[in-house]
Amino acid sequence: MTNKDYIDIFSRFNGEEGDLIPLLQEIQEKFGYISEEAIKNISRFLKISENQIFGVASFYSQFKFIESGKYTIKVCMGTACHVRGSLNILDEFRRNLHVEADETTDDKLFTLETVNCVGACALGPIVIFSGDYHGQMKIKIVRELLEKYKSKNEKESETAV
Amino acid sequence: MSKENKTVTINIDDQILEVEKGLTILRAAEQNNIYIPALCSHKNLTPFGGCRMCIVEVEGMSGFPTACTTPVEEGMVIKTHTAQVQASRVEILQLILSEHTSSCLICEEKDECKEYMGTIRKAGVTTGCRYCPKDGQCELQDLVEKLGVKEINYPIYYRNLRVEKDDPFYDRDYNLCILCGRCIRVCQEIRIANTLAFKQRGPKTVVGPAYDRTHIDAGCEFCGACVSVCPTGALSEKVSKWEGKAEREELTTCPLCGVGCQIRLLIKKNEIIGSLPAEDPLVNNGQLCVKGRFCVAELVNNYQRLRKPYKTQNGTKVEIFLEEAVELSAEKLSACSPEQFGMLVSPNCSNEDLYIAQKFARVAVGSHNIDTTARTFYGTGFNAFLNLMRMAVPLSDVLKASIILCIGLDTRFGRSVVGVELRKAVERGAKIITINPRHHNLTMIAEKEFQPVPKMEVNLLNSLVMLTEKKKTPTSQFRSKRTTGSLSGELSTVAKMLKEASAPVFLVGSEFLQYDESPQILEAVEKLARNVSAGILPLPVQNNLFGSVLMGVYPEFLPGGFSSTGKERIDNLRKRWSADVPNFSSQWNAETLSSGSRMKVLYFIGEVPPNSRPPSDFLIFQNIYPPDISYEPDLVIPSAAFTEMDGTFINGEGRIQRVRKAVDPPGEALPDWEILCRIAQKMGIKGFDFSNAREIYEEISSLIKGFGDFDNTKRKANPMICEGELNIPETRPSRTKKADKKFPFLLSVSVGEHTYRGFPLSTWVEGLKKLFTEGIIDINPEDARKTGISRSDEVIVTSAYFEKIWSANILSEQTQGTLHVTLPQGESIGNNPHPVKIRKKDV
Ligand code: SF4
Ligand code: SF4
Ligand code: SF4
Ligand code: FES
Repeated sequence: MTNKDYIDIFSRFNGEEGDLIPLLQEIQEKFGYISEEAIKNISRFLKISENQIFGVASFYSQFKFIESGKYTIKVCMGTACHVRGSLNILDEFRRNLHVEADETTDDKLFTLETVNCVGACALGPIVIFSGDYHGQMKIKIVRELLEKYKSKNEKESETAV
Repeated sequence: MSKENKTVTINIDDQILEVEKGLTILRAAEQNNIYIPALCSHKNLTPFGGCRMCIVEVEGMSGFPTACTTPVEEGMVIKTHTAQVQASRVEILQLILSEHTSSCLICEEKDECKEYMGTIRKAGVTTGCRYCPKDGQCELQDLVEKLGVKEINYPIYYRNLRVEKDDPFYDRDYNLCILCGRCIRVCQEIRIANTLAFKQRGPKTVVGPAYDRTHIDAGCEFCGACVSVCPTGALSEKVSKWEGKAEREELTTCPLCGVGCQIRLLIKKNEIIGSLPAEDPLVNNGQLCVKGRFCVAELVNNYQRLRKPYKTQNGTKVEIFLEEAVELSAEKLSACSPEQFGMLVSPNCSNEDLYIAQKFARVAVGSHNIDTTARTFYGTGFNAFLNLMRMAVPLSDVLKASIILCIGLDTRFGRSVVGVELRKAVERGAKIITINPRHHNLTMIAEKEFQPVPKMEVNLLNSLVMLTEKKKTPTSQFRSKRTTGSLSGELSTVAKMLKEASAPVFLVGSEFLQYDESPQILEAVEKLARNVSAGILPLPVQNNLFGSVLMGVYPEFLPGGFSSTGKERIDNLRKRWSADVPNFSSQWNAETLSSGSRMKVLYFIGEVPPNSRPPSDFLIFQNIYPPDISYEPDLVIPSAAFTEMDGTFINGEGRIQRVRKAVDPPGEALPDWEILCRIAQKMGIKGFDFSNAREIYEEISSLIKGFGDFDNTKRKANPMICEGELNIPETRPSRTKKADKKFPFLLSVSVGEHTYRGFPLSTWVEGLKKLFTEGIIDINPEDARKTGISRSDEVIVTSAYFEKIWSANILSEQTQGTLHVTLPQGESIGNNPHPVKIRKKDV
């Protein structure tokens, strides 16, 4: 993200306090997450401290503070899924990816997230892997899914070369 | 306005009350001594309505409104203590306590515990529980007591958050936090720092800076305001953490800068355990900076304080009694001719010390050779700085100004109470303009910022001077030549703003003071102020710089700030003192200390001039701490610190303020004036038989106007009066070279300004080592990339005259092509700014 990107976005705002949330939304939409650099730039533009901006942004679950990986894995933690053992599914992802929830793997391939109910409780526990719904998840499927996407990625990068 | 418009009549607990309109129920009740429990509310902060302890019943309103957020209305009928309200409060308090360590609150043993510590435990000693540093001073404890909570009917949940101890001065244990938000509000509403915010939400809510930054990295001022307002033990001061409650307090004046805040010393037995701001409406309004808030106790209690005099005999220290030290000094001084004597005295000393010191030099030794290191600190700009002090306006003018121009000012650590005033002014609609070659903490509140490259400040200020000239001057060639399009536009805007402003105020900080061009910069500031009829408040680094001029501790100045060359003035002193005072003939001063001829006796009172021992036969070193070994003083005499003596200081606005003795000095230490008086008496000199500071003050007030009653100093702001000038040779004409191919960077230097009695504060106060860093060179990221330097690398800095090694700090706010370093006082690089080249030290 270059300086020009910020200038572009900021030029559409007046620099008032009320601009904070729309600004955060726009930056997130454009870049996928709110970086430290973004917070610093917003702080200079709106003259609100970085600490306050982070406070506001972290209140809303829609804002992400980490760069998303190529594939996002959302594990549902809603009541129904929870009862059916979604915690174990989440643990299995954590073990395999060596990341915690809301983190991205070092190779920037996977981001692990939790969500609260996606409205398909009958299918629980549910995992949304890169946009695809996987109902009645089992621990043993976790590794299969990861392998599948890893090789998918490799193929894509080969063809890209 | 009729009375009815300003007040409303309400009924609280069957009392009919007439209260001010617009108050909240809670404030109205408080003003009428009706108690409503409250936790998150604080008298200086906006209402928050978070804890719900203050719920009341209001007739006609549904539910239980919170008294701290509900404004009073005509005819309101309020019940504060109905059975239902009380029961709900108990319930709410229990909920709060279910997430709070509560053994100190509801343990069955708690009453006996403190005295008998009877609880059986595995440890072989009886210790009692000391979970929380706030024990005995905690507002939660009070409430538990008042509401009679004896047990908690909810499952206890311990958040198990890591206790944050990484920052200096205070620790944070958010397991004790009740999320009342007071710390956040004080930091956001009163300070400029905005370090704290609520993060996350729901059960995950925590208080802190962005990400997991430390407070140092998040811009915290370490003002301690958050620690002071925290109702629980979540925030606690490191040094006094387990000291408990103070036994008594003493009001005094902070000696750590020229703002002169009023502080309350907290005392237990004969020891200072801490310091808090006084609610003083004239200067600091209940706020302090890190120095006044956190450094006083450590500074005066350090175990290395001098307790007994010692002399050096054949290279070894021999401890002696004070009486012998006095005799020895008297003997050496009696045998010393006036021109072979020199005395340095600290502008941190009280007026009484300073007055006696110059009287001692002039009468007992018969010499005008007395000076302070302020002369070396301000250098060639000293006269210009004193000129600004002659025009000083009170700090309170900041609140009346519509525009405030801050020149070379940073208020993060030093003078941060000035920052607090600026923030208030901004809230009121004032505009802040800053001129500073370096990054500073006023960015968040500044309307316009100028960051001139070093050496361009004079041009920038002179452009403003020209643009604000009352008479139209034809366009100056220099403006068109030096300033580029957008900058000159900005300057015109600012010039216009200044001209049109009602009562603009200029605040002068210390960023430029060590630059070669500091005299020209300060003169331009003065001219600009005259052009736009602005008030100026220079903010001296030395707390009693004003007093040092007024007491006459310079060869060129007599008491009253009169010039020593004035024959009549000297005659007058002779009469008043009934003593012989020589005519002025001094060539000696602090600048000539190391270069001048060898002196017979040098006497340093609270001064530690750099560069080790100057040439002298006999060196007396009188201070609260021992000197560096390189000094090899012949005699060391222990002084009292400001907490151990009575007296007065004069702050930068010219207020005469009291210093009050809170504890006894250690060992044989005495106030400086008392030691001097004893020596003078031993020498058989008359006019030194003072038995306390009051008597000296009375003599001062007989000589100098404006000094009233010692017990009731008026504390009125008065610009400085002094006639004449200091003799400062213009040996350093501004001939700083520009950066060129060979030395492509312009390095500017500031000098460590946070000192007390000649020592850097960080020598004695551990936490300051992290805040006041010296020998660290700020480099712009782009320059760093080009030169292959990264953070904390050792950097070799070379100029035509020197080669130094400093540690790198990469700072995006540092202008490209420029570098900056802060050095200890006395270390100099010659021209400032200075063209240099840099490279990374090979490992
Ligand atoms: S010490 Fe002062 S600046 Fe730092 S967090 Fe507390 S209130 Fe804010
Ligand atoms: S740290 Fe103290 S002041 Fe801040 S929210 Fe927690 S309890 Fe309140
Ligand atoms: S601003 Fe100056 S006088 Fe006030 S507390 Fe800080 S050092 Fe002391
Ligand atoms: S004091 Fe009123 S809600 Fe906390």
